[in-house]
Amino acid sequence: MKKIWLFILPLIAFVAMTVFLLSGLFSDPRYQNEVQQDRALPPFKLADVMQPAKQYDESLFHGQVTLLNVWGVWCVTCAVELPFLTQLKEQGIPIVGLYYEQELDPDFGGKSLPQIQSEITQQLSKLGNPYQINLFDQDRSYSMDLGVTGAPETFIIDKQGIIRLHHIGDVNQRVWQNKIAPVYQQWVNQ
Amino acid sequence: MITEVGHFSLVLALLMSILLAVYPMWGAARNDIRMMSLARPLAIAMLLFTLIAYASLTWAFINNDFSLSYVAQTSNSLLPVYYRITAVWGGHEGSFLLWITILALWTGAVALFSRPMPLQMVARVLAILGLVAVGFYLFILLASNPFERMLPFFPVDGRDLNPLLQDIGMIIHPPTLYMGYVGFSVAFAFAIAALISGKLDSTWARWSRPWTLAAWIFLTIGIALGSWWAYYELGWGGWWFWDPVENASFMPWLVGTGLLHSLAVTEKRKIFQSWTILLAIAAFSLSLLGTFLVRSGVLVSVHSFASDPTRGLFILGILIVTIGGSLLLYALKAPGLKGQGQYHAISREVLMMGNNVFLTAATMVVLLGTLLPLVHKELGLGSISIGAPFFDQMFTYLIVPFVFLLGVGPLSRWKKQSPAALKNQILLALGLSLSAGVLINQAYSTFSYLATLGSVLACWIFVTSVQEVVQRTGKAFNLNALTKLTRSHWGMIAGHVGFAVTLMGIALTSQYSVEKDVRMAAGESAELAGYQFVFKGVKPLNGPNYTGTSGHVDVFDKGQLVASLDAQKRFYTVQRSMMTEAAIDSGISRDLYVALGEQLDNGDWGLRLYVKPFVNWIWLGALIMALGGLLSATDKRYRLSKVALAKKSKQYTVSHTASSPEVLK
Repeated sequence: MKKIWLFILPLIAFVAMTVFLLSGLFSDPRYQNEVQQDRALPPFKLADVMQPAKQYDESLFHGQVTLLNVWGVWCVTCAVELPFLTQLKEQGIPIVGLYYEQELDPDFGGKSLPQIQSEITQQLSKLGNPYQINLFDQDRSYSMDLGVTGAPETFIIDKQGIIRLHHIGDVNQRVWQNKIAPVYQQWVNQ
Repeated sequence: MITEVGHFSLVLALLMSILLAVYPMWGAARNDIRMMSLARPLAIAMLLFTLIAYASLTWAFINNDFSLSYVAQTSNSLLPVYYRITAVWGGHEGSFLLWITILALWTGAVALFSRPMPLQMVARVLAILGLVAVGFYLFILLASNPFERMLPFFPVDGRDLNPLLQDIGMIIHPPTLYMGYVGFSVAFAFAIAALISGKLDSTWARWSRPWTLAAWIFLTIGIALGSWWAYYELGWGGWWFWDPVENASFMPWLVGTGLLHSLAVTEKRKIFQSWTILLAIAAFSLSLLGTFLVRSGVLVSVHSFASDPTRGLFILGILIVTIGGSLLLYALKAPGLKGQGQYHAISREVLMMGNNVFLTAATMVVLLGTLLPLVHKELGLGSISIGAPFFDQMFTYLIVPFVFLLGVGPLSRWKKQSPAALKNQILLALGLSLSAGVLINQAYSTFSYLATLGSVLACWIFVTSVQEVVQRTGKAFNLNALTKLTRSHWGMIAGHVGFAVTLMGIALTSQYSVEKDVRMAAGESAELAGYQFVFKGVKPLNGPNYTGTSGHVDVFDKGQLVASLDAQKRFYTVQRSMMTEAAIDSGISRDLYVALGEQLDNGDWGLRLYVKPFVNWIWLGALIMALGGLLSATDKRYRLSKVALAKKSKQYTVSHTASSPEVLK
């Protein structure tokens, strides 16, 4: 009889392991916060990319529901959504840009700030400028705080400065109507 | 259109796998020849449909079809074509498609190269492979479909392949590793088929061996490639990190190595059947577990892709059915197995079993070390992490007796070995390896006990391997006698020597590597381990989908220029991520390694310099081991058994026994 147990032992060990794997599957905290929603905007102090002397903080978002759009001139998909975002702006929806750039870093060929500014001006005059201002996330740490995985990404920030929606990918007519506009309206009406 | 064909083919492949799992198995139970003969055509059909699916996904990548959400996530129009082809397995969905394609390849190979096997056996083996495939086809189609469209609205460009994966090492590492991982499914299927039939004789072991060897060869190369890639791509100067995912590939390798040896004993001596079966089940189960750990995100690791619990749950389901089912079958059937051979307490059988125990113990160490943090957390005891020191220490303890037995095993005889007869050889080998090991380490200014231990162990394997060849060829030691040894014999020697080479590399490089973090302005120089590193400055870099900086370093040894290195730092524009491309000058006895760091405020650059002695031996040894596997797998008796009739293969059994040691003496 003792010997039989020896042959069942592997099965028992496997079952025990499965229990832990199963519970591990559902308890991992990595699954939460994959999309940043319903939490306050992390505090920041960022400059306007066109006028670096002007500093803004999270009070910029207080009082109105705003879209925060993460973008860069190097990003093809961002260029595609610019005209649509411009339409939204013309409907009176406030949009703040978070300009996401690394070229200023001397590690990367060292583009100067005036160069970046002229690239932005060129791009926006060509495709439309939806932005009230563009915050300059120079060392990309704020994008990191926001959980940005790439560009473009768009956030809805409510009147209290709380993130109400995090959309990964471009904003277009369909996404706007199906996903973003309902949330936007809900928080405007509140 | 083409992607729809691919999607549809995948559904057809699922159908084929269901038919394959049901009919031949049913036929084998009822001894119905017509149903059993369906096995081969169904396996081939499953392979063809899977290949069509795979090819069409590749087509979508080459043509930048961003309407497929998977393509949009893992590729980009700026990505060079060769990386677009490899981006097919750069994400979750595609890597599973690669997994199942490789399973279909192995299944097809068994169908093609199993002519001399009894039909019933072929039917069962293929049916089991089909059953495993059903689970994965369902998983791909239901939970992780790479053919999912984002129509009618799709992005204009993709999000790019993870820059870590944009590398030649990454082009070949995953397919090779998967070939090994998935290849153990064949040994698994043979074991289960044998359990079902109850016929666990040496023919089963003989059929199973070349397949196990093939899988083991791929796994060996795959692991070595992964380690080599980590070494030069990650820029941390390390080659093994005991990362959960590395462990996941290492466990099947350890068990697979045990399985190879246990199969050899079962084939030649008709003993240890139940142990061999358990190892065959374990090798594939650990491969599946590895897949689960990597893909479910249960363990946090650099390798995990973003994942969701539904997918993990699905894979866990496959695991429960496959592993649980086979272990249940094992618990029911294995107690009835009886070995036929007789052997004494000191014999080659027992020595090989001893090493099997050490390999299993090593697997347990890795398994516990990998899963314990998870268990700990689930029990509410808080987070712990088990790192390299634990594994390093455990492996140091295990390797000493392991290597001792590894040396003695081939010298000893089957059935019974008198210790007195081995005494002189062992003493000689001990003396030689001790002095060689110590001498090697005297060459270094800082003497290390661990490195000496490692070198002594490696020399022990070298010396005993030579002794073994001398013993086998008798007094007449000449080239002619050497050619008399079978290929599988040379395979064993190469396997052992390869292991010794790896061991030597590990011992020397982990103890004698030196590194230095320096800040340098252009024109300045730094000294490390007798080498003069002169920093020449940086220049900008422009790649297809990245920009960056390249730092130039000339290395001098006693005034002679020995290497001219370009260490790069790349910035991938679409993914916004930084990559370090270390510059390495490789040599037999040392690597010179330079990684470019950050630029400091005053314009100086941070640089990290390494001199790593014998690091290439680690991968060279793995190559020799794989070569040994190749020699064994292509041994005459396996090649012939594939084409010859059962009668002929019987003759070879006879001639093989004739050349085995106890008859020689």
